[in-house]
Amino acid sequence: MGFTPEVYKLFEDIVGPENVSDDPAVLDSYAFEVLADLVRPEQSHYMPRPVAVALPGTTEEVQALVRVCNVHRIKVKPLSTGWYHFAAPQSDEHDTLQLDMRRMDRILEIDETNMVAVIEPYVIAAQLQAEVMKLGLNINVTGAGASCSILASACAYAGQGPMAYWMGGNAENLLALEWVTPTGDVVRTGSLGSGAGWFAAEGPGPSVRGVCRGTFGSRGGMGVYTKCAIKLCHRPGTTEWNVHGTTPAYRLPVDDLFRVYTLAVPSWDAWADLYYKIYDNEIGYIFHRQFNLAGANLAPAFWLMYNDHTKTLGDVEWMAQDPAVKELTEEMRISFQFIMAGRSTGDIELQDRVLDALLQQVGGWKVERFCEDDMAEFTNMYLQRLGHKHINYVWAGGYVGTWMQIGTPDWVKNYIPIASAGLERDAADGLLVQCGGDAMMGSGSGFPGGGVTGLEQFVSYDANDLESTRAAVRHMEDAVKDAASHGLPPGKEGLYLELSKTDEQVHAELAAANQPAIFRFQRKIKDAIDPNDIGDRLYATLPPEG
Amino acid sequence: MALIDYRPDAMRCTRCSYCKWVPLDLVKSWRYAKGCPSVEHGRFHSYSGGGRLITYLSLLDGRSEVTDRVVDIAFKCQLCGNCDVTCKVCRYDMEPLAAQHEFRFWLVEQGRVPTRYESIIDGYRRRGTMVGDPNTLVGDPQSDGLRWARDLRVKDLNTDRGEVLLHPGCRFSYDGGLGPVARTSLEILQEAGLDVGVLGAGRCCGGRVYHMGYRDDFTTAAEATLAAWEAAGVKTVVTLCADCYHTFKRLYAERGSSVEVVHMVEMVARLLAEGRLEFTEEVPLTVTYHDPCHLGRQGEPYVPWDGVEKKIFGQAVVYDPPRPRYNGAQGIYDAPRDVLRAIPGLELVEMERSREAAWCCGAGGGVREAFPEFNAWTAAERVEEARSTGADAVVSACPWCERNFLDALRGPRGGDGTGVAAPFQDSGVAAAPAGRGVAAPGVTAAADAPFQVFDVLDLVRQALPRKGA
Repeated sequence: MGFTPEVYKLFEDIVGPENVSDDPAVLDSYAFEVLADLVRPEQSHYMPRPVAVALPGTTEEVQALVRVCNVHRIKVKPLSTGWYHFAAPQSDEHDTLQLDMRRMDRILEIDETNMVAVIEPYVIAAQLQAEVMKLGLNINVTGAGASCSILASACAYAGQGPMAYWMGGNAENLLALEWVTPTGDVVRTGSLGSGAGWFAAEGPGPSVRGVCRGTFGSRGGMGVYTKCAIKLCHRPGTTEWNVHGTTPAYRLPVDDLFRVYTLAVPSWDAWADLYYKIYDNEIGYIFHRQFNLAGANLAPAFWLMYNDHTKTLGDVEWMAQDPAVKELTEEMRISFQFIMAGRSTGDIELQDRVLDALLQQVGGWKVERFCEDDMAEFTNMYLQRLGHKHINYVWAGGYVGTWMQIGTPDWVKNYIPIASAGLERDAADGLLVQCGGDAMMGSGSGFPGGGVTGLEQFVSYDANDLESTRAAVRHMEDAVKDAASHGLPPGKEGLYLELSKTDEQVHAELAAANQPAIFRFQRKIKDAIDPNDIGDRLYATLPPEG
Repeated sequence: MALIDYRPDAMRCTRCSYCKWVPLDLVKSWRYAKGCPSVEHGRFHSYSGGGRLITYLSLLDGRSEVTDRVVDIAFKCQLCGNCDVTCKVCRYDMEPLAAQHEFRFWLVEQGRVPTRYESIIDGYRRRGTMVGDPNTLVGDPQSDGLRWARDLRVKDLNTDRGEVLLHPGCRFSYDGGLGPVARTSLEILQEAGLDVGVLGAGRCCGGRVYHMGYRDDFTTAAEATLAAWEAAGVKTVVTLCADCYHTFKRLYAERGSSVEVVHMVEMVARLLAEGRLEFTEEVPLTVTYHDPCHLGRQGEPYVPWDGVEKKIFGQAVVYDPPRPRYNGAQGIYDAPRDVLRAIPGLELVEMERSREAAWCCGAGGGVREAFPEFNAWTAAERVEEARSTGADAVVSACPWCERNFLDALRGPRGGDGTGVAAPFQDSGVAAAPAGRGVAAPGVTAAADAPFQVFDVLDLVRQALPRKGA
């Protein structure tokens, strides 16, 4: 059992020889993944190397490949755009076939009337957004940004982001789904399962959205999602996409029905109050603490540098010392970006008045420099498309998000000092980027209408520097301890660190989780749907019973 | 630089895949979002800018060996630079395009090149030009490369001295099918009163062999050309070819040349702005302009740099002194458009992928010479995009682009081009309500409607006052 030349020939027969490879260099381009260096032995940048990579073009080809893998006990790991170590094979002990879904890249349907799009795995957010915007519609582009697969965000990951406040997270926006299960069966969920079309996730037809997604999302660990329908939302304003400006800081004119602001407050208490008031008053369209990813000490200098194409990263050093920039840095130390959209001129004007009143109530203000035309258009571009997410890595090619526990603003504000102190402490030796303890970024709300939020600490390290990389690992471990010492669960770093642990360690942690019944139930699902264990442990379960 | 010098770039690659798309802010449709011909054709991640970084990291790490597939990965790429632009939307510490050049140099030194390369480079060494490969290239290197200047009085800078050199490049010298662009250019320069001369046929800039990975052959060509320029007292080179432009502007400058390099479209734009040139004749066409990679995103001026990496704020990676940032921001985009807009009766419409986000014509990086099917595939995709604008013609400022588009439309031997299908015609956006802004169904490059290909200078010639009028 396992991978052999005969099995490779079977793969070739299914997808054609031009769509399968076992060349080691090709395979390494799939094994190499960001964040691998934080969880792999000796800080290797490579996850386990797949035995082959195949590029299926149809659901039938996926099905055939999966069935061959069942016969030969080869694990199957699909990726669409493939950013993060979750997308790579997870096991050194087992053979894994990597499925690169790039040939399945079509938008199959845009149903304008019912506000539904049907897509394949390799449709990225930028593509779908561009098409639906022509119809006055929009999608939720997730926090991972416009380069990422909408299908993957909806079916296999959390799917939240700055636009979820208006449009909902993509886990919620997932409608009917076509799923090749780990045994190679094709399951069509929701309305699709009863031949009624793509419009509903929960019926009439099998309602298995929760089963295939798991709690957070199966991250490619539970079969292959080959098509899905995603909910679209109304987008006010123009249907034109009149981008202008010089690379890299492209700009999008602010439509008459939109407002684009960077807002600041004097304290974290005021920050939480303002979030609640925004939720309660039902204003806003895109809601995000975005620019602080560069760190509260450096963010203004960084973004002003970025908006001048004649400058480079090194200019931030002297720009941060400019008295005017220093003043700006203090002015926007606790700030976030806020875009409002009105359904009419009266609506947007009312939202403006409401926002002004809310700012007055909490002692907040609009950051004038970042609300001027150039920066407003840049902010508008950045957040409407989320096409600059790779800038997370701008300092040195290495970034890991820590914290990001989700809760009410009051709950979140309480861990900000802990997270900030932790980064200041861990960066003091110069092995992490020193941009101020508060490099916390996150969506105003992960759910439509608000209610809960979360902030992620942006920890930047040099991915080409072993000591810096090790410092990032230490920081992740420290963040878990810092959180635990305050009675808090692990944040994103906990998810990442999971990949460095043995199956036994992971199972023990899941058994000790607050709600282990979830993982016991998912074990039953796994046993039923993946009896040959060709998925991986990213579909979280307790160990097999007995 | 050596390949090992780009190891940090590979280690800092995050596999974000931005390099596969046009800058994401510029995506306006499903259909024209993709930016990298190589990965769209080769499909596996290794064929992308980031994928190549990882491929040679794997080689350097001893995890894999140079196989035929690796050679294919390294050379089946036009080096168009889209990956460089999109990577640098977010990064200041990555040089994916420069790394790819170094990857090729490294493989050429080991003798690991595509099968066709040996005959191509042999032909180049014998003929002194890339034009004229009997299998793939249109053009006749045996012809008189100066026949376009016949009947014109012009200085021969082989024997005379002059400050301005008109360099038509191999393709305009030998590819008679491209029209009288060189002759028109010479006339314009002379009528503007410039002291212009030519250096005669057979002087290849060497850019194409550089892109194929033959650095030594390029150096030989560059040194000979620079010596000829110096002997003739050349201060300014005006070229008609985007490839030559890039070679002179960037690669020669890197080797110490201080000669001013101007593309002819820049010169025409300059003469128009100064009132020294006037268009009087209507050219009733709707056209779309194709930005050549080597004039557009790679057409930025050379900035000398001899520095080192250093860290600020603990670990932020910067360079001392600041490293020049070639990201397409300062390419030559406006001059050709200004010229076209100045032509009476002509309407300019834009393709979705334009300026720094332009899809490559397919000809660069040795692809036209070594991978004719991939070359034609890439060109067909661009022709399809050009046609989707509703234009009557696609216009470029590079004879390699022009030749590639002509071949995509009519076949390299003047046929009907039916062997060339647009790459993405079988997939796309479907079932949306008609007439609501969704991309039109795919058509092949050889569809019925007549579609034309021009150089900007072709249209300039038509717009100039009639002689004797």
